[in-house]
Amino acid sequence: MGNLDDPRLNFNYRTRETGTVAMDTKRDRFQWVSEVAYKNVHRIVTRGYDTTELVEQGYGLTDILFIDFQSRIPLIEEDKMLNYIMVCMLEDGLSSPANISRIVAGGKTILTQAAGSSILAFGHAYGAYQEIGKLMDGILARQEKEGKPLAEVVEAVVKTRLDDPALGVSGLMLKDPMAKRMIARAEKLGVAGKYVSLMKEIVKAAQKLSREPVDIDLLGATAAVMFDLGFTPEATWGILAVTRAFAAGAHYCEESEREAPVCLGQTLTPKEWYDGPEDRPVPTIEERKKVAKAMEAQTPEEWKQIFLERQRIKGSGWAIVEEIDDPRRKI
Amino acid sequence: MDRQPLIKRKTAISYKTEEKTVVRGYSVSDLAEAGYTFYDMLFILFQNRIPAENEADMLRYETGEFLEHSMSPSAASAIAVIGGRPNLPAAIAAAVMTFGSAHGPGAAHGYMMHKYIERARVEGKTLEEMGKILVDEYMDAGLAVMGMGQPQHLDGDPRAEPTHIKHEQLCSGVYLALQRSIEKHFNARRKKEGKAFVAVNMIGAGNTALAELGFSPNAAWCIGCVCRGFSCAAHATYTMKKGHAWAASKREPMVQMLDLSMIKYKGPADREVPSQTERQEYARKQKEEGEYKKWAI
Repeated sequence: MGNLDDPRLNFNYRTRETGTVAMDTKRDRFQWVSEVAYKNVHRIVTRGYDTTELVEQGYGLTDILFIDFQSRIPLIEEDKMLNYIMVCMLEDGLSSPANISRIVAGGKTILTQAAGSSILAFGHAYGAYQEIGKLMDGILARQEKEGKPLAEVVEAVVKTRLDDPALGVSGLMLKDPMAKRMIARAEKLGVAGKYVSLMKEIVKAAQKLSREPVDIDLLGATAAVMFDLGFTPEATWGILAVTRAFAAGAHYCEESEREAPVCLGQTLTPKEWYDGPEDRPVPTIEERKKVAKAMEAQTPEEWKQIFLERQRIKGSGWAIVEEIDDPRRKI
Repeated sequence: MDRQPLIKRKTAISYKTEEKTVVRGYSVSDLAEAGYTFYDMLFILFQNRIPAENEADMLRYETGEFLEHSMSPSAASAIAVIGGRPNLPAAIAAAVMTFGSAHGPGAAHGYMMHKYIERARVEGKTLEEMGKILVDEYMDAGLAVMGMGQPQHLDGDPRAEPTHIKHEQLCSGVYLALQRSIEKHFNARRKKEGKAFVAVNMIGAGNTALAELGFSPNAAWCIGCVCRGFSCAAHATYTMKKGHAWAASKREPMVQMLDLSMIKYKGPADREVPSQTERQEYARKQKEEGEYKKWAI
């Protein structure tokens, strides 16, 4: 013990203090700080409005979403538009959130576990609202900085992002009019703004540059209209993921009603689906020294060689190259 | 692009083709175009029917009430999870998952109601009589009567009684009759036992209305809990954008949620780690003495 026989350690392991840290009396005590809501014994208040007074006055869930996230009462047209979007977003068949909910239901869980887990399906491809928000705000910021025509900036960006699942333009809705009808409804209600205009430019550029037929998809339409309604990309991400979770609850119910639960060890994986190493004998512990070799790299060159070798091992994670972004990052 | 579902299932909820998404036979896009609301959609989704206007009004009222509840276990979870700055949906999912047997036990309340309404039918009793039976059976067994009391709103949840009144105005039925009877007999018995009045909570009021609207115990639970997910998303987003990650900063003028001084330790006193040569004898003795059982969880 002591300094573990290593002088680089900057404290002594033998003489470290024991016990917990005393209460910090120099600073204010901890409180839940919020700009969103508070409650006391007799009231629940969001952004200054008593929630019971809101519903007594006829405001509903969709109005309160504007209040919670934007601190304002929406125009009637805005509330109508949010309802329209949420109607369209509630159910999407056996897509990822429904599948997750059903898989969780199969373990004989409770509803909240399944409905909650469905929200985890929303990432940077499925329901990529944070990503498309960054993309659109990035284009607008770039256009403002460079002073070039919007179409020119959009085309330069879209050229590099044609395969991006967060582009909002794809081949997914070539035959389904839902996305285009949503944009038309936003325009009819007078709530379409700069994001709808920008999305139209993105569609135009993608159609010009893509070799495959493409059009606005549900991500593109919902994102553009939600942003024009004043919701941030993060708020949109949260609101629409939760919207979908209601239907994930219905899928939980149906899975529980129609299917038998799934037990630990029950599910088989066919050997035909396996393409890993051939079956091989397990070496004895004595043989281990001969078989096993350490793989620490000592030079960048060695590291690169090992890196590439590791990338060939499916399921190791080495082939995934991504940037885990700080969600606070501003455009 | 592979557009086949991951799992193969027969489903009566919806289908989706390249042309449209259909829920319970209705094109979703057509429903939106026709002006149906999210409240209508929840009836179509869970009940395979378009609701009467009074029913949709009740659901609008109730989901509006459910949405925001400031600091409760769900919002606290969302705030704690976002402290590590994962993707936002992780914090919202955690928030929805906090709902269980103590925080918003909606399904359990619904099953309790069904059981006693069925007994009223089979035993030929009124719902008023059955409310008393329920209360007596629960209290005699030392069980909490679901739907009563709230740890923060000591004089009664401010949303609950207004929800009951709106329920009476818009869609009164068997569930409300039983719930009102439960509340009456629960407090009559408490009074007789010299205990204070306890008001109905949002499970007792809100879940009763959802049941009256035709939502199953789990569907009602889903609506209540997932609704809260919206406000938890707001709390998590606020914390993500305006709070410090980790919630332990010493730079803040206020002690943070995860400041070291927030820890109060009540476990075994600090003790020497035995060496590997001492280990076997040490472990045997520790097991024999059994003092560890006091701490096992």
